[in-house]
Amino acid sequence: MANPIKPDRSVITTCAYCGVGCGFKAQTAGGRIVRMIPWKEGKANHGHSCIKGRFAFDYYQHPDRVRTPMVRDSIDQPWREVGWDEAFRFTARRLQDIQARHGVRSIGAISSSRCTNEEIWLVQKLARAVFGNNNVDNCARICHSPTQFGLSATVGWGAASQHFDSILKADVIMVVGANPTEGHPVFGSLLKRRIRQGAKLIVIDPRRTETVRSPHVEASVHLALRPGTNVAVLDSIAHVIVREGLFDEAFVRARCEWDEFEVWRDLVGSDRYAPEVIGPQAGLDPADIRRAARLYAGGPNSAIYYGLGVTEHSQGSTGVMCLGNLSLACGMLGREGVGVNPLRGQGNVQGGSCLGSWPHVFSGYRFVTDNEVRAGFESDWGVPLDAEPGLRLPNMFDAALTGHFRGMYIMGEDPVQSDPNQSHIIEALRAMDCVIVHDLFLNETAKYAHVFLPGSSSLEKDGTFTSAERRVNRVRKVVEPLAGYQDWEVVVKLMNAMGYPAHYQHAGEILDEIARLSPTYRGMSFALLDEIGSAQWPCDENAPQGTEVLHTERFPRANGRGTFMLTEYVPTRERTSDQLPLLLTTGRILTQYNVGTQTRRTANSRWHPEDVLEISGGDAATRGIRDGDKVWVTSRFGRTQLSARISPRVNPGIVYNPFLHAETRVNVVTSDLSDWATNCPEYKVTAVEVSLVGQAPPERTAAARATPEAVDA
Amino acid sequence: MSTVTDSHAGRDGDTPVMAMSRMITMANQIGDFFAPYPPGRRAEGIRNHLRTYWDPRMREALLRHIDGGGEGLHAHVVEGARLLREITDRKGYYGPPPGKA
Repeated sequence: MANPIKPDRSVITTCAYCGVGCGFKAQTAGGRIVRMIPWKEGKANHGHSCIKGRFAFDYYQHPDRVRTPMVRDSIDQPWREVGWDEAFRFTARRLQDIQARHGVRSIGAISSSRCTNEEIWLVQKLARAVFGNNNVDNCARICHSPTQFGLSATVGWGAASQHFDSILKADVIMVVGANPTEGHPVFGSLLKRRIRQGAKLIVIDPRRTETVRSPHVEASVHLALRPGTNVAVLDSIAHVIVREGLFDEAFVRARCEWDEFEVWRDLVGSDRYAPEVIGPQAGLDPADIRRAARLYAGGPNSAIYYGLGVTEHSQGSTGVMCLGNLSLACGMLGREGVGVNPLRGQGNVQGGSCLGSWPHVFSGYRFVTDNEVRAGFESDWGVPLDAEPGLRLPNMFDAALTGHFRGMYIMGEDPVQSDPNQSHIIEALRAMDCVIVHDLFLNETAKYAHVFLPGSSSLEKDGTFTSAERRVNRVRKVVEPLAGYQDWEVVVKLMNAMGYPAHYQHAGEILDEIARLSPTYRGMSFALLDEIGSAQWPCDENAPQGTEVLHTERFPRANGRGTFMLTEYVPTRERTSDQLPLLLTTGRILTQYNVGTQTRRTANSRWHPEDVLEISGGDAATRGIRDGDKVWVTSRFGRTQLSARISPRVNPGIVYNPFLHAETRVNVVTSDLSDWATNCPEYKVTAVEVSLVGQAPPERTAAARATPEAVDA
Repeated sequence: MSTVTDSHAGRDGDTPVMAMSRMITMANQIGDFFAPYPPGRRAEGIRNHLRTYWDPRMREALLRHIDGGGEGLHAHVVEGARLLREITDRKGYYGPPPGKA
């Protein structure tokens, strides 16, 4: 018979699911996508793919997709379908009215790492140039903001130092708080390939992840630390390196600030960070900490890869600094096979991070308080800009509760589901006068919105993504946007409705503006990317085709040197107690993506129909819990119901839950504690109790503020 | 959460931009990070962090809380925050200033 899915057209584009940035040939027949073929020339995937990128594309034509803008005067009213023009007029009038009554700083905008660089750029321009304030943030706030902070502070740029292929020259690979075989599968395969070739693997993770042991691959050292003790353990590794003289003095003298190294050496070298002191606190054998330290320092090429297990803590930024310090001290930067590399969760987290979707910096991490930088933007955009930092995402919600923040444009995000302490977020949204949700589906946050603007998926738009290896990849329109406009066009029309004259013929003109105003993107253009496929920033006259490895000669700091930050361990205030004796930590699985808005609307759901709670055999037995039982998970903040799975992957005292299903509502229980530097939430540590459904759950303590509707499903 | 209440709520008819207890928690966390630095660098590190990251309304609310006694704040956080008024000409930047103080 004839091939029933014989395509009539093929478009090369980039997968939006994770930070690896795989190239695909998206093939269509009769205007519908029939298959995704991994692209052999893709520089991140070289023809490989995972189960999400290859198969989970049908969400784009799911019946739940909204195709018409909708508005309502208040959130207790039903939605009213309107034309685009009326939606823009309604939105502009509402936002301008709020600003007239409550001040310029009373509204803000959130961009998404699922959107293109061009769209992210326009959202921050909307806030800065049109709203006239710096109230712009992006979802990296709740995942990798500590990366930007911690790496900027030590090595100068908050970005991966390497390209992915660099791992093929590593002798020692240290994976911290990440599970690449599930979260970044194509990179995970590359990592496994290198381990099979003989590289040593160190894993620092509370859970026995697939990365720790799988066919052909086993970690040489697994530090299954107690959640919340990252900084103590990393300082203890540094202690061994300092006290045993394993650091690279020549590198530190030649490339770093020696005085700062000495101050740091005194701190981590103190007896209180000895493995024999830290081991018992972190639940580790001191000998294992020493083995990890000697392996890492010994190299000769040692590379660090890390994820949200480092960042999503009250000391998340400090944890990232620990990694920067370690790599500098051991001379593990500036060549292939080494480096410090954040594994980014979403397709364009790096783009959101380096293109100024933050309340305190413009693109390239340049401060809004810097008069010279700001003047450059003012002259290009033709309006005066606010010289003061704006509100961060969690602070926008905090300020909504006091009446100081009343309007919010949210592109491609679902804070009700993805942000911590859900009842607090809902209360804040209810307090606002105008919430605009721009998304593919009526998500949880849309329940509290006044305007819904139907979005376009990455298969329906032109632009670029910047992957976790700083690679700028082209996103190409495969099918027409279902609701008529690409997301960047919607932002332009909203800017126009508010009286700002923005005009772009196509997305490439936005990238041209990015290049004009951002030194590390100076050489980027659609023409270049169409010609050479992709390019890693910095891309400029010195590196016209981009840069694979950073920091080869100098660090991007004022004096060109790397520096050491003092990373004292400060335990989180989230503690276990008699009532809440277990620590809950969270993570990802292979077949689903983040809160699952897209992948749950594909057949991938068959692989993972529900989130489960992993619990050790001992903890289950003492609570009378059998495999598959329904259980309550209760914290200071709320409770939710899950199915228990007795698992050897977690140690006694620890329970684990993936965060991918709305029904799970794990963020009903997560705490409101956050990173000291960036307010990135502490998702990775919550004190909980687990009890069988049917038995009375433990009383929540007086601190619990969960509203009843957020508690019981 | 800290037990400190919003002592300035309602003063002059306007309230702090966000709950004072939350800002005190955040400021003390910043103080915890800079605690191991020598006193001069510690204070300036805290000042720089607040100047660079905090919305001006948050900084103003914190300073007003300090004017009212600074209840709940670590002493070195008060010292660092006060530099916001004394050092007004610097660009924002990360962390403590270079060199030993």
